[in-house]
Amino acid sequence: MTETDFLCLTPFLILALAPIVIMLVISIFRNYEIVFGFSLLSLILAFAALFFIAPAIPHSIQPLFIIDMYSLFFLGIIFISAFIVALLSYNYIKRLEGVREEYYIILFTSTLGAALLAVANHFVLFFLGIETLSISLYILIAFQRTKDNSIEAGIKYLILASVSTAFLLFGMGLIYTAFGSMMFSEIATAISLQGPLTSLAITGFGMMLVGIGFKLALVPFHAWTPDVYQGAPAPVSAYIATVSKGAVMAVLIRFFFNIKGFDDHYLFIIISAIAILSMFIGNILAIRQQNIKRLLAYSSIANMGYLIIILLTGTNKGIQASLFYLISYFITTISAFGVITLLSNAKNEAEMISDYKGLFWKRPFVAIVFTLALLSLAGIPITAGFIGKFYVIFEGMKAGLMLLVFAMIISSVIGLYYYLRVITTMFSPAGETTLPQITFMGKFTLAAITISILILGIYPGWLIDIITRFVGL
Amino acid sequence: MEKSTFIALLPAIPLFSFLVLALFGNKLSRKATGFIGAGSIGIVALLTLIIATEFFHSLPQIKTYTVVVWEWINAGNLKVNISFSLDSLSLVFCFVITFVGFLIHLYSIAFMAKDEGIKRFFAYMNLFVASMLILVLADNILLLYLGWEGVGLCSYLLIGFWYKEPANGYAARKAFIITRIGDTAMIIGIFILFITFGTVNIHELMQLASAKWASGSSIAVITAALLLCGALGKSAQLPLQTWLPDAMAGPSPVSALIHAATMVTAGVYLIARTNMLFSLAPVVQFAIAIIGALTLLIAGFSALAQHDLKRILAYSTISQIGYMFLALGVGAWSAAIFHFMIHAFFKALLFLGAGVVILVLDEEHDIFKMGGLRKKMPVVFWTFLIGSASLSALPLITAGFYSKDQILWFAYSSESGSLWLWIAGIVGAFLTALYSFRMIFIVFFGESKTLPSFNAGKLMTVPLVILAVLSLIGGFVELPESFGNFHPFSKLIENVLPVVLIKDIGNLEILFQLLSAVIALTGVYLAYIIYFKKPSLSASFNHSHLNRFFEKGWGFDKLYDTLIVVPVVWLSEIDKNDFFDWMNIGLSKLALLLNSLFSITQNGKLRWYLMSFVIGIAFILTFMLYK
Repeated sequence: MTETDFLCLTPFLILALAPIVIMLVISIFRNYEIVFGFSLLSLILAFAALFFIAPAIPHSIQPLFIIDMYSLFFLGIIFISAFIVALLSYNYIKRLEGVREEYYIILFTSTLGAALLAVANHFVLFFLGIETLSISLYILIAFQRTKDNSIEAGIKYLILASVSTAFLLFGMGLIYTAFGSMMFSEIATAISLQGPLTSLAITGFGMMLVGIGFKLALVPFHAWTPDVYQGAPAPVSAYIATVSKGAVMAVLIRFFFNIKGFDDHYLFIIISAIAILSMFIGNILAIRQQNIKRLLAYSSIANMGYLIIILLTGTNKGIQASLFYLISYFITTISAFGVITLLSNAKNEAEMISDYKGLFWKRPFVAIVFTLALLSLAGIPITAGFIGKFYVIFEGMKAGLMLLVFAMIISSVIGLYYYLRVITTMFSPAGETTLPQITFMGKFTLAAITISILILGIYPGWLIDIITRFVGL
Repeated sequence: MEKSTFIALLPAIPLFSFLVLALFGNKLSRKATGFIGAGSIGIVALLTLIIATEFFHSLPQIKTYTVVVWEWINAGNLKVNISFSLDSLSLVFCFVITFVGFLIHLYSIAFMAKDEGIKRFFAYMNLFVASMLILVLADNILLLYLGWEGVGLCSYLLIGFWYKEPANGYAARKAFIITRIGDTAMIIGIFILFITFGTVNIHELMQLASAKWASGSSIAVITAALLLCGALGKSAQLPLQTWLPDAMAGPSPVSALIHAATMVTAGVYLIARTNMLFSLAPVVQFAIAIIGALTLLIAGFSALAQHDLKRILAYSTISQIGYMFLALGVGAWSAAIFHFMIHAFFKALLFLGAGVVILVLDEEHDIFKMGGLRKKMPVVFWTFLIGSASLSALPLITAGFYSKDQILWFAYSSESGSLWLWIAGIVGAFLTALYSFRMIFIVFFGESKTLPSFNAGKLMTVPLVILAVLSLIGGFVELPESFGNFHPFSKLIENVLPVVLIKDIGNLEILFQLLSAVIALTGVYLAYIIYFKKPSLSASFNHSHLNRFFEKGWGFDKLYDTLIVVPVVWLSEIDKNDFFDWMNIGLSKLALLLNSLFSITQNGKLRWYLMSFVIGIAFILTFMLYK
């Protein structure tokens, strides 16, 4: 291993070391605040390390890792999101009975798994990352052991994820059989040399789609999402919706663009179908939903449907659009789940829409934060969500994906209905709810996220500029 | 800091106080609300004074101050800045907006003291002042349009201020919709200008237009006509005048500020600002004169037949703006602006006076139920008398004489003027004197019919007195050639606007002045005879059909109802459930249907979820392998 290799691996080393340190510390002396502070610090360090790596890229550690601007960007997003989730979890986890410090250990291992996906250039690392992430998520989802539906969600996720991983692994095996390599770039070369795909390879790609589709909650592998989002602690739902999906998206985009999947007519049609089905089924399932966590789960199905349009553009511009979209989707989703997290406590999760009745008149600040997050999810101007959606539609139209863009627009209209339904509930006359007060730190975090939603919505130029200047495959 | 940057503060300060009142209004006491609401306008008025002094110092070297605050839009070749520029024309408007505006705000503190919506009121009023200042200071036509729509919005909000009364809401909507007709034409005109010349900067547009468009070419005529439509709507001129009398549903200070002194003259400003365009379209410019002449006559007759004190003043406003349009139409630019300023003084005064009368008589609007108020409220009487005298253009002592007389003279003597326009003007002047003193004699003389319930305080009377003084001496900034020959005002305006071109007809001005003086005095005398000395003379007319016709504003409302409103309502009635509605309704029905269908799959059963995996992969593999 060279010095550069080491340098490039520092964020991963930090992420791997942090849980070990925490484990050692809590075996001697348990203190929630110290663990919390240490976790935040480690995440900041991991993020800061990215800036030291930047001069050394692009760099690949054969055969598993590839560290380029694209992966750095994803690592950055993942670390920031994990940081905010940790920040928002503080009170929520503190109020739990029993073990609490372990939450942060698992947060680190799952983040490590997600981070590995962003740099994977090989099936082995791909699989390793996805498993590290999944296994950590089983624990995080079922973290409230005393709650029935938390356990139920954990078990469901465990079984379904195992099945999907089996498909994924089988698919990888078939592809290896077909091309004799597990490295993305070598598979790509083999495909271009061999010409039309053999049945073996096709079956392999199809099987992989199950595994990836499950992680991204794409139709028809989506059914777990609402149950898991509902059962998991609110900050964990936020984590699944953002970090977990973003990381899988990162590896999917890299793999798909490497093998030029968009050139294959049949794969193109299947992805289009999955995208359209996800948009419509996600949005339609949400319209009569009374539980906000389930509603956001359906919303995430639709959002991932929008996002995979990008796979079919096959251009660098498309990747840039997807990055912007992901960033805006991340902050928006974290903001929405953040409100739920901060308004919940160990006994009572603020998850029903009726809990939010008249929120504006009692807690104008939280209500405005939530309103902006929902408007951003719906893609209403002056929010980041609008620019993200616009960007995706723009690139989609440039690539001639008219049908997909049209489906996206129609299903967005359906989606608008349920976002606005929540908003009108918040602005209707005050109800009988008694929601807990929000701490200063919570308010500060929410305010910061909301401001960034607005900044990206009003003045997105600088971020688009950065993305288009540096990021590409 | 560059001194010119101060002009950006003019709209910024009232905008800021609007935000303060809108966001924190609930936490402010009524006193603080009045203090912030009126105080901010006071500061702006002072600032205007400072800027004006500076401006006069730098004349004639620097004729325009410009400041770029922000880049607003930058998309393709459309680049628009939030940037302001101040020249003599905008300075006069700023002066009127801020000073008259400040007096009206002061008055409003007392007028609205008991109203529960006082915070909302001052918030809207400040937003209005901010928008109006943006309108007159904008250096590009898009920003001007922003201010233009901003004042329209505030006008709507304030007409419907007492929204619990459905009629007020109706009046507000009427004003909004009718002015919208003009605005739509105007934005099309703006599009044409932008597409043709690729810029929205007003100065550049005018230079380019006069360089590239031939005089009388059809594109110039169309564009000028479209902009004119916008001006007609905003300034309540024929045929879009019908909204203004109904707009009196708002509180009296609103009528004084928005529907008399400032907003309704925005059309005059627009035409003056784009005068080069209108010079390229002589047909349109002549049409302005004709419209002005017709409007001033129609509105004059209508004013004579009204019973409601505020509606008299509303028709009078339409009529006086008609004079301004007449002046614009004959190319007497500075005369139009001069009359705008003087009109702002005396019409604000009259509305505020009428507001006091109506307030102390417990919302009594009918002049025939008033009477004998001269003794009861002397300050209001004397100031109202001065206002009416200025409106009637009583010779020598009133400001209205100097401004209106200039218009009458140019209506005849300018190059595009004619005897007919002058006759229309002089008949209008006679009507003006008649209806003004009809108000005076009926409201303030004779026996008293309703007793005032309280006395107006100082906060209300002081603005009246100041405006009365301005209505008297304001005219001395511009004296005719026949005597005095003193022209600082038109010299100032001519820094921006062209000089009026006069036909060679010899020096007849003194003769015309004598004539109009006589006409005005005759009008007053006639009013004295038929409304005070022998009311029986006017009584028979009061019940005639002609009087009814005039009172209803010449039946324009009815005409528009039958020609436009009824057919449109009928059409939309039969078109209620057309194809496009089916699409929307169908989509929502379908979504709900599918929702209940798909919900079945979300039953929480793991075996179902796994089954969907299997079905999914089966489909994918079948499809991909079957080629």
